[in-house]
Amino acid sequence: MAASVLAMALAVAAAGPMLAKAPRKKAKTRVAPADFDVKLPVLGTNLQEYPAGPGKAVADVACLQCHSASMGLQQRLTEKQWTGTVEKMMRWGAAVPADKKAELIAYLAANFGPDNDRFEPTVTRPVGK
Amino acid sequence: MARFALTRREFLAAAGGALLLPPAAFAAAAAESVPKDKRRMLQLNGYAIDAETPLDALTTYITPNELFFVRHHWNPMYPDLRRWTLAVDGEVSSPREFTLAELKKLPRAEVTCVLQCAGNGRGLFRPPIPGVQWRGGAVGNARWTGVRVKDVLERAGVKATARHLHTFGDDKPPEKVPPFHRSLEIEKVLADAIVAWEMNGQPLPAQHGTPVRLVVPGWAGDHWMKWLVRLSPQPEPQTGFYMDTAYRYPKTPGEPGAAVAPEDTKPLTELFVKSSITEAPPAAKVGTAVTIRGFALSGAPDIAKVELSDDGGESWRDADLDPRHDPYAWRLWSFRWQPKAAGRATLLARATDSRGSVQPKEAAWNPSGYLHNAWPAAQIEVAS
Repeated sequence: MAASVLAMALAVAAAGPMLAKAPRKKAKTRVAPADFDVKLPVLGTNLQEYPAGPGKAVADVACLQCHSASMGLQQRLTEKQWTGTVEKMMRWGAAVPADKKAELIAYLAANFGPDNDRFEPTVTRPVGK
Repeated sequence: MARFALTRREFLAAAGGALLLPPAAFAAAAAESVPKDKRRMLQLNGYAIDAETPLDALTTYITPNELFFVRHHWNPMYPDLRRWTLAVDGEVSSPREFTLAELKKLPRAEVTCVLQCAGNGRGLFRPPIPGVQWRGGAVGNARWTGVRVKDVLERAGVKATARHLHTFGDDKPPEKVPPFHRSLEIEKVLADAIVAWEMNGQPLPAQHGTPVRLVVPGWAGDHWMKWLVRLSPQPEPQTGFYMDTAYRYPKTPGEPGAAVAPEDTKPLTELFVKSSITEAPPAAKVGTAVTIRGFALSGAPDIAKVELSDDGGESWRDADLDPRHDPYAWRLWSFRWQPKAAGRATLLARATDSRGSVQPKEAAWNPSGYLHNAWPAAQIEVAS
């Protein structure tokens, strides 16, 4: 038994690379090396948070209901623009208690005003070939 | 669902096409890919996912599916394809539903064209505008395969009273957010719109609207309804937030930051002529030529020329246009530049389309930040 296995192995080796090749079926299941940096987070990973400060708790509930924090972090809006945006979102169902609306607008305007330069997009791995 | 295997006819066509190509051209086409270190996406929102392609990855005629920008209004849908249908109703004599298999039995249509988000470049406008702050990579060029909308509507007996095609996707907005319902003029639909189930030869990926989306060559992405489930030709345009308030453009753009009354706006449709720079060396030496590359696109079917200037737009020289082209696809271009003096040089690009529209120095500021198309600039440090 052991001898015949050895003989077969020798025969395969002697036949050269053509015969020694893995059967086609096996080659199909081989995993191709990743053609992107595997250390990158996958698309859809949330890595950003609202900065600390008065009003963060309101923003965490009201905005994160439908948007990741990055949506707020990338804006550079005046207080007037933030007021318009918050009122639009409240009409659309954002959970902002009436007595917290001013606090939310002040928080967004203070952190994400026209000079806001804190936002960087998250570099992510491609998906969905 | 998956149609990975080529039919015998497709295989023979592909093989025949490959054999007809001269070896050098074939090698060039096969080698055209995005290098591993540039294969990444810039995520602007984690949910709903919004991500753009870094400009230095937009260097191939066909943008690979996995590097194609993603824009969602809300979370994506994963429809059950055993139950999925496309309904056709409205101004038709025989309202009906099509299964995917039924759609695939209709004459096959294929177009290669640009898809660009209406808001691409919003982040570059000053004063800033609320919304996703796209930098310039919410654009790509792909081969879309499906069926002409005209063929679908004709099989339902579309009537002459149909003037606008109302389109409905299956994605559901949260809370009291208005649904993303749209319509577009029937003339454009009948001319060249398709219902696509393949993107670059692959089944339409989930983030691009599986199983089918609308493809509207030359028009901004808001018309390209994803997760399409219903087409309804009607005498009047659709109403609602995404028709009456969003995706509108001033009839006459005014001062940056100025409000525009709704009656002074019109629907945003065709893309504006635009070039972007995708490759430029940060440094060069006097007397040694360097290459600058990019793409150019428009709502017109072709690009006539792309020019570059190294003197602030005083004088311009033609870039070389890549011969590959399809109606409403982008044109890749390249430009050999000879630095003549040491110091920091600024290279500007501008495109002219086949209708004679020229890319402007400044993009017209508009309240929603649509279709930014100012001349792009590359800074190059030239050493003596």
